[in-house]
Amino acid sequence: MAKIIVVTSGKGGVGKTTSSASFASGLAMRGHKTVVIDFDVGLRNLDLIMGCERRVVYDLINVINKEATLNQALIKDKHCDNLFVLPASQTRDKDALTEEGVERVLNELSAMDFEYIICDSPAGIEHGAVMALTFADEAIIVTNPEVSSVRDSDRILGIIQAKSRRALNGGEPVKEHLLITRYVPKRVEAGEMLSYADVQEILRIPLIGIIPESESVLHASNSGNPAIHIEGSEVSEAYKDVVARFLGEDRPLRYTSYEKPGLLQRIFGGK
Amino acid sequence: MSKSSSRKPIEIKISTVVAVSAILHEADLGVLDAAMRDMTGGDADFFDDEFAVLDVGALTVPAAAIDWAGIAALFKSYRLNAVAVRNAAPGMEAAILANGLSLDGSVKPRVEVAAAASEPMQAEIDLAPAAEPVAAPVLAQAAPAVAPAAAPPANRTMIVDTPVRAGQRIYARGADLIVTAAVNNGAEVIADGSIHVYAPLRGRALAGANGDTEARIFTLSMEAELVSIAGMYRTFENGSERAQQPTQIRLLGDRIDMQHIKSAG
Repeated sequence: MAKIIVVTSGKGGVGKTTSSASFASGLAMRGHKTVVIDFDVGLRNLDLIMGCERRVVYDLINVINKEATLNQALIKDKHCDNLFVLPASQTRDKDALTEEGVERVLNELSAMDFEYIICDSPAGIEHGAVMALTFADEAIIVTNPEVSSVRDSDRILGIIQAKSRRALNGGEPVKEHLLITRYVPKRVEAGEMLSYADVQEILRIPLIGIIPESESVLHASNSGNPAIHIEGSEVSEAYKDVVARFLGEDRPLRYTSYEKPGLLQRIFGGK
Repeated sequence: MSKSSSRKPIEIKISTVVAVSAILHEADLGVLDAAMRDMTGGDADFFDDEFAVLDVGALTVPAAAIDWAGIAALFKSYRLNAVAVRNAAPGMEAAILANGLSLDGSVKPRVEVAAAASEPMQAEIDLAPAAEPVAAPVLAQAAPAVAPAAAPPANRTMIVDTPVRAGQRIYARGADLIVTAAVNNGAEVIADGSIHVYAPLRGRALAGANGDTEARIFTLSMEAELVSIAGMYRTFENGSERAQQPTQIRLLGDRIDMQHIKSAG
């Protein structure tokens, strides 16, 4: 049985797609057969981040409408042999996502021996976002350390608890993980940004990782390369920690405290 | 959802509608018009097309003297949409219904409008108001010498152990409400009785929603956006003077009173 994980946030621009791409890549790098689905029907961003936009022929909506098979629509990742991308349609709107259709696609993926199905949710709390979380077993809540993002994450947690299949069927609830992105320890220290402890105090769900703010993310996104592949970068290491923790390993938090640059570093310039 | 195959022609869901309550002391259209003009100060956006429930419980004029259509039209001219009448005398009902207004059930609590839970998981508990009339005769049979009225109603409590999150609303109908986790910003907890939050209270808390002025609110950390008891409310735009303190909130006269909770001993 495949495990279905929704990556969601409520608010837009917090790093859902970046995190979906890196998390899915990380699972695949650890040897797990993984598929990442773009639920942002009408916008389509995931294929750009994954660098496979020129190979999109069929999409999720085609599969839901039975205009194409899953095998036709799945795109193999350029880095990992066991990672596949199911892109969104740019020419339809989110109403084309039907509950029956999404369920059938997820069941078919599960039957294809995928271990993990990552659902990259659109922003907002409307139909598209609800469809992305409906069948989730686990949820990664992507949150920036600022109040509006935290508020929206709180809202989407409530919706997961109200509208997911697991909630409606009254079984084991969806397992929730907090992923804080765009974290700047220096600004936290200066009191300009919420600390991860502040965020956790409000949301009260287990923390799975903290991704530091980095220019390399933008660069990686623009070049169609998930940030986890930027070898040696803090962001890549942080995402690898997230994947390890998800797989049950114990990893200490990194990149959460600010160290003042030393004199020499200041003279000769840091990294 | 137009293309969804699961689309139904009509779906009925419980939803919450906010309406202002317009308590009429006069029925004369000229007097009401002057009062409304005075109240709105000529500001066309004053009511912003809100719904209104006419509370006629305080009216002393005869039923025949009330021009329902005229009142509705007057309200409309101030961008206030009269939708229902509450506390109507039995003789008024036919005329009210004939003028397209609804009757707000007089047996129901006053804040019925705010009562419905917005999401399925927060199903409100309905603590069977029928319980009291049923209990009384039983008691009377068992101990006929004792006046049935002396039987105190059982204390009802609704307990919530999970955080109440933005956009969620919990209503303890006819009961006290105890929340053992945080009530976050944008969340709303409502009870006909008292509300206890054994964690930070950051959202809105409305106790005594049924009009019980004795209801109180307790929290271990006072960070609320709004507190209300029996309809008297207070907001905290600039933060509360009791910020993050263990606090008890109650009604003293028509004033919301907040006090530190001291541990006894």
